[in-house]
Amino acid sequence: MAVREIKLCLLGDAGVGKSSLVLRFVCDTFNACSESTIGASFMSKTIEVNEQSYKYQIWDTAGQEKYRGLAPMYYRGAAAAIVVFDITREESFHTLKDWVKELQQLGPPNLVMAIAGNKSDLDEMREVSSHDARTFADSVDALFAETSALTAKNVLELFVEIS
Amino acid sequence: MATSTSEYQHDEPSSPALAPWERFSRWLHCVCIVVFDLELGQAIEDVYPAEAELSTSEKRNICYLSFPDSNSAAMGDTQFHFRIRSDRRLELDSSEVLVDRDSPAVLKPDIAHYYGFVYFRQEKDSTSKRGYMQKSVVLLSRLPYVKFFSVISKTVAEGYFEHGMVSIESSCHDIDQWRLPIPGRTLQLPISGKVLQIRIPSKKDKPGAVSSPEVYGQAIPAVTIVSSVQDVDSFSCLQPVLPHLNVLWELVLVGEPIVVMASTPDICATTVQALINMIKPLKYASDFRPYFTIHDNEFKEYTTKTQAPPSIILGVTNPYFAKTLQHWPHVLVVDSCSNPGLSSTIKRTKNLKGLTTLDTTPGLYTKYLPTMKEDKFIIRRLLKQVPPGTRPQEAQNAMLTRHFLEQTQSFIIPLERYITTLMPLQKNISPWKSAPNLKPFDVEEFIRSLNKAGPQLTSDIKGNWQTLYRKFFKSPNFDGWLRSRQAEILEALQLRQIEMMGAADITAYIKGKAEVEIVDLILRLKDKLVNIKCNNSNVSISEVTRHRLTEHLIFVVSILPPDLQGILKNI
Repeated sequence: MAVREIKLCLLGDAGVGKSSLVLRFVCDTFNACSESTIGASFMSKTIEVNEQSYKYQIWDTAGQEKYRGLAPMYYRGAAAAIVVFDITREESFHTLKDWVKELQQLGPPNLVMAIAGNKSDLDEMREVSSHDARTFADSVDALFAETSALTAKNVLELFVEIS
Repeated sequence: MATSTSEYQHDEPSSPALAPWERFSRWLHCVCIVVFDLELGQAIEDVYPAEAELSTSEKRNICYLSFPDSNSAAMGDTQFHFRIRSDRRLELDSSEVLVDRDSPAVLKPDIAHYYGFVYFRQEKDSTSKRGYMQKSVVLLSRLPYVKFFSVISKTVAEGYFEHGMVSIESSCHDIDQWRLPIPGRTLQLPISGKVLQIRIPSKKDKPGAVSSPEVYGQAIPAVTIVSSVQDVDSFSCLQPVLPHLNVLWELVLVGEPIVVMASTPDICATTVQALINMIKPLKYASDFRPYFTIHDNEFKEYTTKTQAPPSIILGVTNPYFAKTLQHWPHVLVVDSCSNPGLSSTIKRTKNLKGLTTLDTTPGLYTKYLPTMKEDKFIIRRLLKQVPPGTRPQEAQNAMLTRHFLEQTQSFIIPLERYITTLMPLQKNISPWKSAPNLKPFDVEEFIRSLNKAGPQLTSDIKGNWQTLYRKFFKSPNFDGWLRSRQAEILEALQLRQIEMMGAADITAYIKGKAEVEIVDLILRLKDKLVNIKCNNSNVSISEVTRHRLTEHLIFVVSILPPDLQGILKNI
């Protein structure tokens, strides 16, 4: 059976949980005090959906400002991008909009975009409503899910949907 | 619902988690940014990781070797490599020793040298007094993976020139996640948003087997495949001297001093590598410098006229060398812009008079009288293309590589066969004594064996093989080969002896032995077990043997008087 390779990159503000989402998807674990990413880290994982194998090449980019300029290296040639924000930090949702704009202008033409509102387990501290996020995702033709790397809610589903 | 299997980069079977930079350091020593400054001259602007140690003389060498040393107004990028002595020798830890054993001799980490993989860029810059910017990104490594690192160095340098140091930091971090370069492995190596696939060759590979990575399933577009770790574009470099390929092979094999002159560092470095590659699987044991400048630390040592030129290969571009190295016996002049049609008409020059500038016609300038005749067949095959110039470069290179690999194999087979006759007989290995040594290599005895089983049986080239072997025996290449083969055989003998010790009947052996002999045996058993445990010895022992040796030890200790048992416990 042929394996389909999917280059996927994660973008978003520092501390929104990009690496944690990847860790949950790839190893199904969670590390509460994970260190901040340098440049980007790479992981791969193969999953099978409807008898078709997909091998994800996941480039988990660093959210810190100083690495901002490197992002094109990682989304160049990507089949999909997951842009992540933190539902408890409105500012991260603004950054997300900038990312989406950049991807629309400079990203690969057939890029599948997904928006993840992470830390859905912290609902009581929410600053961005589901409705606003979903409306925005629809307006840019992106998939949308609220995820929790901590409880694993929607994480696998999001990655599977991209395939 | 989806089922899944995961593999992530941190997974390294059979080895514990590695410290930060430990993976990185198995691939690279560091990345240097070298700049040409009008006031300061060449200077290292940055080193990453910052804690990577470089001595003053190493830094000085890196500075000079990172730039073309003859003036060129050409803008754009150039890639080449150099090799320098390292002040600190690489010390392999036990796991690295095990890895090293399976690596082909020519691909082992170089414990006394660094390779520098240079990506040089020159571009117009109105802010600079010179009117242009000259900068190089240099990857330093112990690994002679010339082809592989030229790909990596391009990726790293392009990232740097676009994004600056933050990109170097990011690339190095990628490399620090790579799996280790263990022979026989096909690795997928992520760097700067790309994934490269490479297979690390193993000594256990069949000779001549294609080292390109196996592609599972269909070709994967998301992965860039690097077809070889070390092969270079030999054909392009050697094209101007095609009629002399066999002489070159001979010169490299017997360790004659050779200087390669070219107009640019990329051509001279590739040509030196192509020469070294000609005698694969033999390792070229002398020093070689793909790119050498007049500022090199070893410049005086290597160019002195007071003694015969050393057995080394130098690649140079500075016209000054044409004078300095005039006394060298073999000068190979190559150039990229030489006309391919010219190649078959070049005559070998018998003297070096007139060789004062680098504008000299490409050719091999030597007085050497070859012992072997030219092999017209391979030259004809390389040139015969219908229509001319249509065969892809890769095919030409593969043909050339394969030809010399077979020729060198033919040369080595009699040596291999002879060395096995020097091994002690099985019946002379005792489980209770250390393994006996090999008999010394007897040149005359070997030469006598050639009549019956010489290379004439497997090689088409004609000539005096005996003379060639005698020249070879005087070269560092022979010493290097003999030492590594002896070490491998001794190791195998040791292993055999330990296995025999494990399998032997210990009850029968200690019957009637004096107490002091038994104590001695206990100490020897302990010594073997400790060695196995620490992996200090290079010998890989099976679990079964280890278990048996432990049982032997327990048994022998148990038959001693209790007071002695107590003393032995503390040793």
